[in-house]
Order: sequence, then C-alpha cells, then structure tokens
Amino acid sequence: MAQTITIDPVTRLEGHGRITLKTNDQGEVSEAYFSVTQVRGFEKFCEGRPYYEMPSLMARICGICPVSHLIASAKACEAIMSVEVPPTAAKLRRALNLAQMIQSHALSFFYLASPDLLLGMDADPAERNIFGVAKAHPELGRAGVGLRRFGQHMIELLGRKRIHPGWVIPGGVTQPLEQAKREEILALLPEAYANIKMALTAYKQIAGRFQDEVDSFANFPGPFMGMVSESGGLEFTDARLRMIDAEGLVLVDGLEAAGFDDCIGEAVEPYSYMKFPYLKSLGYPRGAYRVGPLARLNIASHAGTPLADIEVNEFKKLANGPVLGSFHYHHARLVEILHGLEAIERLFSDNSILDKHVRARAGVNRQEGAGIAEAPRGTLMHHYRVNDNGQITWANLVIATGQNNNAMNRGVLQTAQRFVKGDKLTNGMLNRVEAVIRTFDPCLSCSTHAYGEMPLAIELLAPDGSRLDQIQRP
Amino acid sequence: MANEPIPQLSSQLPHPPGRALLLACGNTLRGDDGIGWRIGCAVAQRPPCEGLTVVFTQQLLPEHAEAVSAAEIVVFVDCSAVTAGGTISAVDIRPADSLPRILTHHLDPAALLRLALDLYSRTPARAVAVTVGGASFAVTDRLSKAVRSAVPRALDAVRAALLA
Repeated sequence: MAQTITIDPVTRLEGHGRITLKTNDQGEVSEAYFSVTQVRGFEKFCEGRPYYEMPSLMARICGICPVSHLIASAKACEAIMSVEVPPTAAKLRRALNLAQMIQSHALSFFYLASPDLLLGMDADPAERNIFGVAKAHPELGRAGVGLRRFGQHMIELLGRKRIHPGWVIPGGVTQPLEQAKREEILALLPEAYANIKMALTAYKQIAGRFQDEVDSFANFPGPFMGMVSESGGLEFTDARLRMIDAEGLVLVDGLEAAGFDDCIGEAVEPYSYMKFPYLKSLGYPRGAYRVGPLARLNIASHAGTPLADIEVNEFKKLANGPVLGSFHYHHARLVEILHGLEAIERLFSDNSILDKHVRARAGVNRQEGAGIAEAPRGTLMHHYRVNDNGQITWANLVIATGQNNNAMNRGVLQTAQRFVKGDKLTNGMLNRVEAVIRTFDPCLSCSTHAYGEMPLAIELLAPDGSRLDQIQRP
Repeated sequence: MANEPIPQLSSQLPHPPGRALLLACGNTLRGDDGIGWRIGCAVAQRPPCEGLTVVFTQQLLPEHAEAVSAAEIVVFVDCSAVTAGGTISAVDIRPADSLPRILTHHLDPAALLRLALDLYSRTPARAVAVTVGGASFAVTDRLSKAVRSAVPRALDAVRAALLA
C-alpha cells in the first residue's frame, strides 16, 4: 500500500526544511523530497540600493557565515569598481574567512553532528544532543566549544563583531590590523591546535562504526566543484574554481566569477524554494554537483599547510579517486579546521599583515560585477548589475547549500531506501534520514535558527488518508 | 543613562575568565529588551567589585560555559517578557536537573550552569538572575516609561548581587 511520510521540520540544521517520503505497495521508499519551505527575497529587495551597501546588507542573509557573504559581495562590488584590493587587505580577508570556517565547522561537527556520531544514531533523542555529548564526552564538548570560541573571538577581534562584522567593504577592509590583536590571535592557536587534533583522533576511532551510513548517505558518483589555489591546494577566498567528475577528471578549470553564469545554470523544482544549480554542459539533473568540504578535499591535490597535508593524504586513501560518500563531509570539515589554523598562523606570522594600506577607492567603472568565495558549506557567488548612479538594478546569488540541493535529495532517497522499511516508524530510522542532510551542514535560512522550537511530527499515512503511525518529538 | 545611545560594546569572553562575571543579555533594538545591556553598561562604567568582567550578548550560548564555570559569582541581567513592566526580580540560580532535548542555539541561565558543570566540572559559588519586566518590545532603541523608571532599582539589584 503506497504511503507518504513527512518529516517536518528537519532538526539540527540551520533553517527550516521538510522531508517527504513516498512508499510503494511493497512498503519500500520509492520517492523522496527535501523541501525548503521559506523564501528570503534578498535578491529583490536590494534593488535600488547603492552597490556599496551590498556587503553589509547581504551579510544579513546568514548569522553563521556572514563573512563569506561579505567577501563575495565585496568582490562583486570591486568588479563594478574595477579595483584590485591591496595585498594586506586580501590577506586579512582571507584570515577572516578562515576564522569563520573554523567556527562554522565546529558548530556543525560538535554541536549538530557529534550527538549522532558519539552517542549513536539510535540513541535516546532526549540524550542525543550537545548536552548528551557534554555529559558523555566532556573533553570533546570542551574542544568544540573552544574551537567555536576561537573562530568567533578572532572574527570579533578583526571585525569588531562576532556576527555581521562591518569590517569588509568594497575595496578592502576599513582598518589595518593592530599588533596587539595579532599577538592575541597567535597566542590562542596552541589550544585550538590541541582541540582539533583531539577531535580528528576521536573521529577516526569512531568512524568505522558507521559503515552502513558511509555506504548509504548520499554515496553516488557525480561532479564536485570548489576553489583551488594556483598550485592545486586548498583555497577559500581568492582563487578560481575547478570542477571534477566522479573519476577525478577535470570538467571545468580556471572558472572565474565573471564566467560563472555562462557555466552554471539554475533549475527549479515545484516542491522547494531552493534552486538546483547544475553544470550547463551536462544539463539538468546530470550536471548537478556537490560543493563544500568534501568537494574541496576531492578537488585539491594537497592542503598547502604541513599538518593538513598529512591529513589530506590520509583522507584521499578512503577511496581510489574522489571520495564519493557524503558521510565523509564530517571528516573533511575537521581537516579543513586544521588547515585553517595553520593558514592563519602563516598569515599572522608574516609582518606584512600589519601593513597600513588596506583599502582601494573607486566609483562605478563597470555596470556589472560578480564575486566568489568559499563559504564553509561550499562555493558562494554574488552577481550584481548597477545603473550609472551605482544603484542595484539586478542581483543573483548562488548559495553553497543550493549547490548541494540535488545531492541532498538523492541522499535522502538513498538513505530512506536503506533504513525506512514497512509501516512502522522508529526514531533511529528517521534520524538517519535527517542525518544525511546534516552531513552537508545546510544553511537554509542562513540567518536565524529556530530548529527545535517547533515540534517534530512524522505521520505515516495510508492512501485513504488514515494514519498508520505517528511519532511526535516534543 | 536610560535612553542614551548604547556605545560599541564587547561580547568577547574574558580570557582568562574573571572572578566575577556579569552577562548582560538582550537586544537594544527591541525596546525594553535592551535593559540588560543598559544595566551592563552602567555597571561596567562603575564596577562595584574588583575582577569584574561584563559580557554583552543577545542570548546565552554554550560558548559562555567556560567563563561561567571559572567565575566565583555570575549575575545574569535580562528583560523578562512575562512579568509586569518595570517589575524587578532577583533569583538565585542552580544548575538545571534536566536540559532541553534539542539545542536551540540559546540557553537559559540554569541550563548554562548545567552545561558548565558537565563540561568543566565546576559552577560559580553563586549565580543570580536579575530580570526587569518589559512593557514594550517594539522596534526602537528607547526604553518604555515603566522600564526607564525601574533602571535605578535594577542597577541596585545587580550591584547587590555582585557584592553578595
């Protein structure tokens, strides 16, 4: 008997989403949809505003990764201004983006994902949260809190605010770095290194328990896209994009923000407000791809920092070619945190970071501009058009989470087909369907987070609408 | 003081954590919800005790747990949306016996003490929550008349809690 199962809202992710599963007459899941049920409208209500307001306005999209929006937006504005930012400003923005990546990855891994990983997918939902982790594994709880605090503290030191710092502007940054802040950040690094090393060791010890999840959590061949340095290493802020296929062959290389639209299309589906980006040359949905930590580690040949290079080498041994299982996003996140700490140390150990020339000034010299940056969740693109007065006439944003949309939907179907059986629902079953989404660490609202404030109700309905089963999460 | 502009304030956590900690909570753009920050501001300008750190925050977070665990005394000052406008309350807080099932990115004082205990095996000798009942949460950076007139008493309550 065909049935529909709805998980609404999906918990422990940023924003509101809904999962709908449909089963066939044999009780097997035949269709799955991950719907994003909110609309934001930033692209529309920015019209008419001056282009130089865009970074601070667009950063309000997200309370977790505002820095990436700031940087992508500022770069789009700099394309309109036709300026190159001073080298020290570029370094400072790179450091700020890394700090944000560290705090965001720490939030994702320790606060949202670790309850599943450390306490088990079938653990009592009353215990399967950060408080359960704090009780059962306080040392890892402290590591998570410490890494998040490091990233947020560094963002506040540089940008004066933990969330929505106004420091990044078109042309560079508003103020140079002070020596005292540089020393304070460098002094915080040893504790942060100790925390991430502990987390990587703990993760490797427990990852083997999740082979079922590794096999079925969005584990399929498909393209990956991400930023890569000129030497082929990890890069988050100032470089070009590369796309590879499931065998690791390069599909697109040297892609700049200005060419993004020519290369990437955006499809829509009737069940979600989130768009479905795809590589135009492959068409939709075949050209749908993944972004974020897993994609970046698959694309980069190395990290570019000593300790993370060792970890990247080890990560790449998980597969013969690109690592296709999305469960490994968790592992990739931890490797990126380690790389971020090393890259920050390198940047701040160089005296040029204190240079006072941190801002280029110009007006409108071009009526269109695009900018890209790597957000924690993947590639982020801002694209604006302006009139002669510099007022925005059109804007388009391609958000990291959107670029994983197709993969999340495929992952939900794959996971549901593996774990959801029959006409009786269990919490562990449904938690795995949610957990596949959490591996991508999607940011749906990209601003405020209210998961858990609404009750989770899952109903299993018969075709005549009668309720076969129900789970209520308080 | 009650309706003067709020200066640029720090949400940075003390490192190393201070002996006395005042967590000033709220949103200065939502009317009376800004009372916590205004009280925090006044206390920071004239600290009633040595070793006091004032942290300004929109909400309590897990990241506050370490500083809370290291302090001898912690005072939370915030607006209450459920008590009558201008009503002042000072309540001793103990670690919560049970915690919310799902983390919602913010905590109440008792849950934060519990988290501090679980993570760092320590809580302050004393923790007090001082609240001021709000009358208006409209989009404004000004306090309502009822809350404005309660500011001196709220300030006294916070200072008394810190000196206890």
